[in-house]
Amino acid sequence: MTDLAIVTEKLVRRFGALTAVDNVDLRVTAGQFFGFLGPNGAGKSTTIKMLTGLLAPTSGRMQLLGLDFSSHTLEVKRQIGVVPEGMGLFERLTGVEYLHFVGRMYGLDRATTLKRTGDLLEFMQLADRPKSMIADYSHGMQKKLALAAAVIHAPRILFLDEPFEGVDALAAGALKALLGRMTARGVTIFLTSHVLEIVERLCSHVGIIHQGRLVAQGSIEELRAGIAGKEGNKTTLEQIFLSIVGQSGAERAQIEELSWLT
Amino acid sequence: MADVAQPIGILKQISLIAGLRWRLLHNNLRKKQSRLDLIGLIVLSLFAAAVVLGLSFAFFAGAYDFASTGKAGLLALLFWAIFLWWQVFPIVVAGFGVSFEFRTLLRFPLSFGAFYIMGLAYGLADFTSLAAVCWLLSIVIGASAASLTLLPALLIVTAPFVLFNVTLERLLGSWLERLLARRRSREIFFAAFILLMVSLQLLGPLLNRYENSAAPWAARLLPYFAYFPASLAGRGVGSASLGDFRGLLLDACGISLYAVFFGILLWLRFAAQYRGEELAESPAPQRPITRAELKPESRADALGLLSPQVAAVIRKEFRYLLRNGFAALLLFLPPILVLALISQAASFRFAGSKTGFSSEFFFPGLVAYIILILMAPAYNSFAYEGNGVQTYFTAPVRFREVMLGKNLVQVCLILTELVLCVIAFSYRVRLPLAPIFAATLAAIVFTVVGQLSIANWSSLSFPRKLAFGQVHGQRQSGMAVLVAFGAQILLFGISSLVLGLGRWTGDRWLPAKAFALLAAAAVGGYVASLDALTAYAEKKKEGLIEALCR
Repeated sequence: MTDLAIVTEKLVRRFGALTAVDNVDLRVTAGQFFGFLGPNGAGKSTTIKMLTGLLAPTSGRMQLLGLDFSSHTLEVKRQIGVVPEGMGLFERLTGVEYLHFVGRMYGLDRATTLKRTGDLLEFMQLADRPKSMIADYSHGMQKKLALAAAVIHAPRILFLDEPFEGVDALAAGALKALLGRMTARGVTIFLTSHVLEIVERLCSHVGIIHQGRLVAQGSIEELRAGIAGKEGNKTTLEQIFLSIVGQSGAERAQIEELSWLT
Repeated sequence: MADVAQPIGILKQISLIAGLRWRLLHNNLRKKQSRLDLIGLIVLSLFAAAVVLGLSFAFFAGAYDFASTGKAGLLALLFWAIFLWWQVFPIVVAGFGVSFEFRTLLRFPLSFGAFYIMGLAYGLADFTSLAAVCWLLSIVIGASAASLTLLPALLIVTAPFVLFNVTLERLLGSWLERLLARRRSREIFFAAFILLMVSLQLLGPLLNRYENSAAPWAARLLPYFAYFPASLAGRGVGSASLGDFRGLLLDACGISLYAVFFGILLWLRFAAQYRGEELAESPAPQRPITRAELKPESRADALGLLSPQVAAVIRKEFRYLLRNGFAALLLFLPPILVLALISQAASFRFAGSKTGFSSEFFFPGLVAYIILILMAPAYNSFAYEGNGVQTYFTAPVRFREVMLGKNLVQVCLILTELVLCVIAFSYRVRLPLAPIFAATLAAIVFTVVGQLSIANWSSLSFPRKLAFGQVHGQRQSGMAVLVAFGAQILLFGISSLVLGLGRWTGDRWLPAKAFALLAAAAVGGYVASLDALTAYAEKKKEGLIEALCR
C-alpha cells in the first residue's frame, strides 16, 4: 500500500518494567491531517519520538512513506519534518542562522536555504528581529521558528508535538492556514495536542492512545458513529475522547470533597 | 464562601520561612549527591573555621599591639582589612554559590517589615559576615586587653561599623543579583572576573617595573581615605585613647551617617523588590528595529569543500563559541599565560638562547600545556547544545559528520592558539632546533587526534548539560573528567617516553620519526572511529537527549 504514509506494526517501547507503548499498530494515509491524542503519560510523546528517530523501539516495525525506518533511516529523515518536544532549537543562534543551519543539515543548497529562510521568517512574522538570539524570543516565537525549521526542506510528513501551545491567536490562525495548505498538497501531518477543539477543527483522522495501547483510530465521523451507537448523542471530540479513555470517578468524588473551596 | 486568610505577625512569618529553609535542606539530603556535597561542606567549614580562628588571633595580636604601644589610631588598618573582606569576598563568590531567592516568597502575604528584616538577616548569617564579626570581636578584645578604658570607645565605633557593613553588603548583593539575573550582564561579569584573575598573573612583573614611579601616586591618594568608615573607626578609637571624646563621637556619628545613608538606599532597593521588580531573562517586548535582509550570497563558500552538513556544524560551533563569553574568554588564556610563563621564566638561566633559557624542553612543555587546556571541553562537546541536540537525530545526517564538524573546529582553534604561542615564544626566546620542532609538531598531531577519538566517545557516553556563559553551579561530569585525565596521562606519558628515548639513544631525529608514526596511527584510528561513533551515537542517543534536554 503505497498511499500509507505511516505504518507501525506491533510497536513496543519499554522503560525497564514499564511498557510505555504497547503493540501499537498505526495506519496513517498520505495527505491525512492526523491527530494523536491521549491523556498525560499515555505514550504519545514516546510514539512520536520513535517515529522521528529520537528513540529506538524495543520491538516492532515502522514504515514511513513505504520505507522501513530502521534500514532506510536517512532516506526517511530527509522526507520528514519534526517539531519535537522542547522544540529542539539551538538557542544561541539567531532565527536566520538557525534556519540556515537546518536547511544545510537537510542538504539544501545555500541559495535555496537563504530564499526559504527569508520566506519562512516573513510568513511567521519573525523577520523583525534579525539580530535577536532564539534564547531571547518569546515562547510563541520559538514555536513558530521550530515549525519554520520543520518545513524548510518541504517534508512529505510533518510531526508536530503540541504545535499551538503558547502561540497567539493571530499566529495560530496563520499556522493553521499553512498546515491546511500543506495537507491539500499531499503532505501528511501527524500532531499531538491537548486542545481537543483544535484537533477536531483541523484533523480529519485521529488515533487515541491510552496506557500505551492504541484504543481507537479512524476518522472523527467513524469514531463519532461508533460512540453514538453505544452511548447516545456524543458529538464533540472531547466527549468521544472522554468516553473512550474514561473519566476517573475518583477525581469527581475528590472535587465534591473540597466543599470549603466553593 | 471561601475563608479569608488572617494576617500573621512578623516573627511568625520569619519562623515559617526558617522552617521552610530547614525543610528544603532536609529534603535535599535525600539525594546521594547532596549528602556527598554536605560532607564536602562540613570538611570545608572545618577548614574555614580554622582559617577564621587563625586570623582572629592575628587581629587580636594586632589590636593588642597597637593599643598597648599608644598607636590606637592604627586600628584603622585592621578595620580596613575587615571592610574589604566584607564587601569584596561576597562579590567574588556571588556567581559560584547557590543562593535561596527569598524574593520568591513575595507571592505570600509577607509584610515589608518582615521582608526587610529577612534581607538583613541573610546579610548577617553568611560566612563572610560571621568571619568579619569574629575578627571585629577579636579587635575589641585585643585592644581592651591592652587598655580597658578603650572598651566603650571600641563598642561605640564597632556597632555602627557592623551595621554599615551589613547594609552595604546587602545593597551591593542586591544590585549584583539584579545584574546577574540577565544573561548578557552575567556573561560580561564573568568575562571581567576571568580577565581580573588572568591580570593577577601579570601583577608581579608590573609591580617590579613600576614600583618606584607608582609609590608617590599612592601616597597622594592616601589622605582621601581618611573619610571612609574604616578610617573613621580607627581614628575614633585613637581619639578616645588621647582623651578626645568629641572626636570619638564625631567619628562614630560619621560611621552612623554612612550606615543610615546606605540603609535608606537598601530600603529603596528592597522596596523595589517588594513591589515585584522584574528580573526575568527575556528582554521586555520591543518595537521591531530592522527587517531581515537576506541577500543571496555571491561570494564562494569558504567551506565549499566540505559536505553541507559538516559545514553547517562548523559554522554553528564557531557562532556558539564566540557567543559563549566564558568559553570564548578561555581562548585568550593560553597565549596570555604563555607570555606570563615566559616572562616569569626569564629569571631562569639556561644555555643557548637570547634570554638565557633553553627551548629544548620549554617549547614541548608549553605546547603540552596549551593542548591540555584547549582539549578539555572536547570531552563533553555537547555541553551547550541543549534541546538543539535533537536536530542531530531528526535531520538526515550521520553522526560522523556532526563529530567531524565539531572536531575540525577544535583542531582549528588549537592550531590558531599554537601558532600564536609559537610566535610569542620565538619572539621572546627563539625557535627550537629543527629536530625538536619537528618532533613537537608530530606530537601535536598524535596527542590531539588521539585525544579527539577518546573525547568523542566520552562526549557521547558521559554528557553533562552546561549553561551558556555561566559558571554558577556548573560542574562537568565526573566520569568525563576522569576519562580526560586518563587519556592525557596516557598520551603525554607516551610522548615523554618517546622524547626520553631520543635523548637516551642520542638520535636527535628519533622522536620526530616516532611521533610521525604515532601521528599516522592516531589519524588512522580516528578515521576508523568515526563510523563506529555513528553507530555508538544511535545507541547512546536516549541518554544524550535526556541529559541535554532537561
